[in-house]
Amino acid sequence: MAVRPAAIAVPAGARPSTGAWTVLARFVRKKPLGAAGGALMLLMVITALFAELLQTQDPIATNAAYTLGRPNLEHLLGTDHLGRDIYSRIVHGARVSLVVGVASTLLGSVLGGIIGLLSGYVGGKTDLVTQRILDILQGLPLLVLALVMSAALGPSVQNVVIAISIPIIPRAARVIRSSVLSIREMQYVEAARSLGVQHLRIAFRHILPNTIGPFIVLCTAQLGSAILVEATLSYLGLGVPEPYPSWGRMLSVSAAEYAQKAPHLVLFPGIAISLAVFASNLLGDALRDTLDPRLRGS
Amino acid sequence: MKTYVLQRLVIALLTLLGMSVVIFVLLRLAPGDIVDILFATAGYISPSEKQALMKELGIDRPYVIQYLDWLRQVVTGDLGKSYRYDLPAWEVIRPLVPVTLELAALSMVFAVLIGVPAGVVSAVRQDTTLDYLLRVFSLAGLSMPAFWLGMVIILGLVSWFAWIPPLTYVSPTKDLKLHLIQFLLPALAVGYRSSALIMRITRSSLLEVMREDYIRTAWAKGQTGRIVIWRHALKNALLPVVTVIGIEFAFLIGGLVVTETVFNLPGVARFLVQAILWRDYPVVQNLVMFTAIVVILSNLIVDMLYGVLDPRVRYGG
Amino acid sequence: MRSRALPFLGVFAVVLSTFALAAPAQSQTPKSGGTLNIMLREDLSQGFAIHESSTISTVFPAAPCLNNLVQFDPAKAIESTDTIVGDLAEKWSWQDNYRNLVFFLRKNVKWHDGHPFSSKDVKFTFDMLREGPEAPAKLRINPRKDWYANVEAVEAPDPYTVVFRLKRPQPSLLSMIASGYTPIYAAHVPPASYRTSCVGTGPFKVKEWRKGEYLDYVKNPDYFIKGRPYLDALHYVVIVERGTRTAALQAGQLDVAFPGETTKAAAEQLKKAVPQLVITPVGTAVTDNIIMNSKKPPFDNLKVRLAVSYAIDRKGLIQAVHQGAGVPGAAMAPRPYGVWGMTEKDLLTLPGYGKPADMKDKAKKLLAEAGVKPGQPLRVEMVTRAIAVYVDMASFVINELKQVGIEATLKQIETAQWHAMATRGDYQIGANLTGLGVDDPDANLYENFACGSPRNYSFYCDEQVMKMIDQQSQELDPRKRLAQVIAIQKKIEEAAARPVLDHRIDYFTVWPHVKNLTPHHNIYNFARMQDVWSDK
Repeated sequence: MAVRPAAIAVPAGARPSTGAWTVLARFVRKKPLGAAGGALMLLMVITALFAELLQTQDPIATNAAYTLGRPNLEHLLGTDHLGRDIYSRIVHGARVSLVVGVASTLLGSVLGGIIGLLSGYVGGKTDLVTQRILDILQGLPLLVLALVMSAALGPSVQNVVIAISIPIIPRAARVIRSSVLSIREMQYVEAARSLGVQHLRIAFRHILPNTIGPFIVLCTAQLGSAILVEATLSYLGLGVPEPYPSWGRMLSVSAAEYAQKAPHLVLFPGIAISLAVFASNLLGDALRDTLDPRLRGS
Repeated sequence: MKTYVLQRLVIALLTLLGMSVVIFVLLRLAPGDIVDILFATAGYISPSEKQALMKELGIDRPYVIQYLDWLRQVVTGDLGKSYRYDLPAWEVIRPLVPVTLELAALSMVFAVLIGVPAGVVSAVRQDTTLDYLLRVFSLAGLSMPAFWLGMVIILGLVSWFAWIPPLTYVSPTKDLKLHLIQFLLPALAVGYRSSALIMRITRSSLLEVMREDYIRTAWAKGQTGRIVIWRHALKNALLPVVTVIGIEFAFLIGGLVVTETVFNLPGVARFLVQAILWRDYPVVQNLVMFTAIVVILSNLIVDMLYGVLDPRVRYGG
Repeated sequence: MRSRALPFLGVFAVVLSTFALAAPAQSQTPKSGGTLNIMLREDLSQGFAIHESSTISTVFPAAPCLNNLVQFDPAKAIESTDTIVGDLAEKWSWQDNYRNLVFFLRKNVKWHDGHPFSSKDVKFTFDMLREGPEAPAKLRINPRKDWYANVEAVEAPDPYTVVFRLKRPQPSLLSMIASGYTPIYAAHVPPASYRTSCVGTGPFKVKEWRKGEYLDYVKNPDYFIKGRPYLDALHYVVIVERGTRTAALQAGQLDVAFPGETTKAAAEQLKKAVPQLVITPVGTAVTDNIIMNSKKPPFDNLKVRLAVSYAIDRKGLIQAVHQGAGVPGAAMAPRPYGVWGMTEKDLLTLPGYGKPADMKDKAKKLLAEAGVKPGQPLRVEMVTRAIAVYVDMASFVINELKQVGIEATLKQIETAQWHAMATRGDYQIGANLTGLGVDDPDANLYENFACGSPRNYSFYCDEQVMKMIDQQSQELDPRKRLAQVIAIQKKIEEAAARPVLDHRIDYFTVWPHVKNLTPHHNIYNFARMQDVWSDK
């Protein structure tokens, strides 16, 4: 049976191409929460990129004269127990959180995505074995895995990225694989195969583009989780080391001890973390609703 | 059905075995071992004493032998000796297990109590301000770091009410009321975070079900809205929720680690962190396997439930 | 509690008049009974095996179970040979010009399991510690073996007499025996058993040790000092999270803070919330110092090391990192915290103690002389332990060094690897903390500055200074000895062997009902709780 062009129509979820701004405007109108999340994320990215410009003091400079100081004009968010400016440290912390969060999410999602793509496409025994291996990785609680990995690899930015990306791999693989499974059975893929197109080509040319939607959703969902894990690791002392200011580390040790004299020590870094994760979750939710209604609520 | 159960059990066992290898290898990747830590507490290091100590603890043997030894111990029910405490690992872990289980259970209770009603209301009042507020509230719980939430709670209580829950563990046999007060706050904190996912699933599941034909038929027949929802929709919507509760239990462990630390509850999760820092391999390995078993068990139960509830699975094999 | 006070008052009066040993002067009459909740910042490291450990986390909670031969008077904050009082020994004396040390032991002392205590236990303990040829048992870790390097033999001529025969005079031996790190083990139990349980002679018996959670003691009814201890029980609680344990102390769920753990800022906050808390600033015998690997460039160059010492503003560090809770000093603690330290006047002659701006200029000049060009800063890697107190100090130091042309990156080393790395010399420069078990020149100088000592992380070795150390160790005239020790400290600082930045001060905090717990200027030596009572 001749393949009708309509049957090759891009699957549900992708939009007919119109101008980028129109798409954006529609998104903002339909999903105000998501747009807010996106805007917040953009703010974070800008802060991370231009941290040096936005800071008011050197984030690692100590000042014995004004420790645990209340917020004032010179120190917008107060100072910590060593007299360091909290606002500047939060600004730089955005860079750390974003870099670590994005890098580990991308690393984990891409690796997991490839595994899921191949596993789902090839199927059969390979699929079964791969799934069991991924089960193993996923069975270990995320924080515990990251903890052990972090202790194993030692404190450094690269190692934290690796440690956080590993638990993401099985989750990414699972999502992409299920997406692949549903696309694989579609008629146009069968048609391509019957025409003799090589497997790899089918995998990358036809199936991959249609997993982009779920992939983006996955990434934004995992980004929030990655930022949280980085914060928790830093809080436990196993994350990003000095001198990079990390929101999580700002909350460890001294913060809770001095919190009654200087509550801003505990409040501001925590609010920063929460806002970042919140924004990425909002954005992720909205993207999921727009890009793939089938996945809504799953 | 029988083959289904058997299949799942075999797979579960294999998965556990795989996990044991992973955790064994991972731990030994970490630089330094118990001997280094022991010398660290003594403030110096002596290579000859170190060799003797490693021999005494049995960690100078090749890794494969140590792994097989561990497997053998597990199979015979011996959980090994804690390197740090010189005592059987089980003896050290045993008093901690009920604390963590209790906290986990209480947290799940709160998670369901918060999440399900919120999800229902949110679905019924879809796209209203209430819906948005509830979704924001729920998402906020997911976005806050667990340890921060705990910290803020304790500090808020101290600053505004000049009161803190007991920060040293109160056994239920000693003072039940104080014990429950002590567990209330950490359970709420963890439960709040877990409720987010439950709320989301309840909401979306209910939304989907409400669109189904048989619901619309019931409405068309004139049955009042509320009865329709409660009798038909909810029953079917709850299936995925049950799944999520099982999955959420696994995510719980992560939140428990910091919550137990901040609220100073003597549970398994808090102990795990200390054991990792001390390279107390027997304790860490057994604890992680314990959590893995709990996770796999809960997945297994959920799968079983699916098998029972969903006829397609039951007869499809 | 009140009803039991009366009969005890009578006994106490008798005790006070006949035993002029550890009973301090009281302004109030002590009450018997009660429990104290005491803070622990982590679980006991090696149980009660004090001899296999060097950390306050073992000594502090294990001390109530054991006794020494002699101890530093619990009621006096400062520790010196003048404040040594008896514990298991009633009397002691140096003989043969400080070559023999004789102890006359108490009679009728029983171990917690009923066995009688005798000189056999003392000989057992010290033969084991010094790893003598006929050592009856071996410790699997023995950090203070070198304290007894000078002991030729330990003899027990009768059940209540012990004689230490030394190779040469060493007055310091008595101080080391008085340290909290030198309890007496029982000869009839294997030393390894102390890792899990405690058979001691002390005022309290171990009731239960719930790992990672708490340690419970009950009063020893057969304690050899009648009427002591006053307390019925001790409850040590492990709280790892810093904010949580401060909150617990503030709320009264803990009565006693952990020694060395209360910073000045925390103390101010506590005092504001609970004005009746009793807060005592005390020395800790812990110093912040800089170790520099003198076997590898660039710190094999004396000028570079001196530049580092000049660059660091000691007073600035005390203010910035400890909010004032510290005192400048050289290797030994200055008065009133110790008796061997240099005076303020003397300190001013040392590198780094003058006006900060001048000192930094001097540092830059030294670096220039060493070949560092302006605009081409010297790049080094600073190591420190991955613990907050270390990291804060290191951050400050890095900032100081930056201002004179040394760019240091910070590398945090996990506990498990720190000592191995430092002993191997796998580092360039490090920010370090050192705790001393006793304020004694022998204990400090041999361990940290002697040629070839494993804990001499800087690999400092000066033959002349070694001779001076040996000389002061045998010097019997206290005034002459003090002068010699001061001369040694001066030399060490001028060689920038291990520049001391400050001596830390702790704001030890207890609730007002806790009576008679006098903190010492040394965190390791006031933990027995024998004379402590509760006014509740």
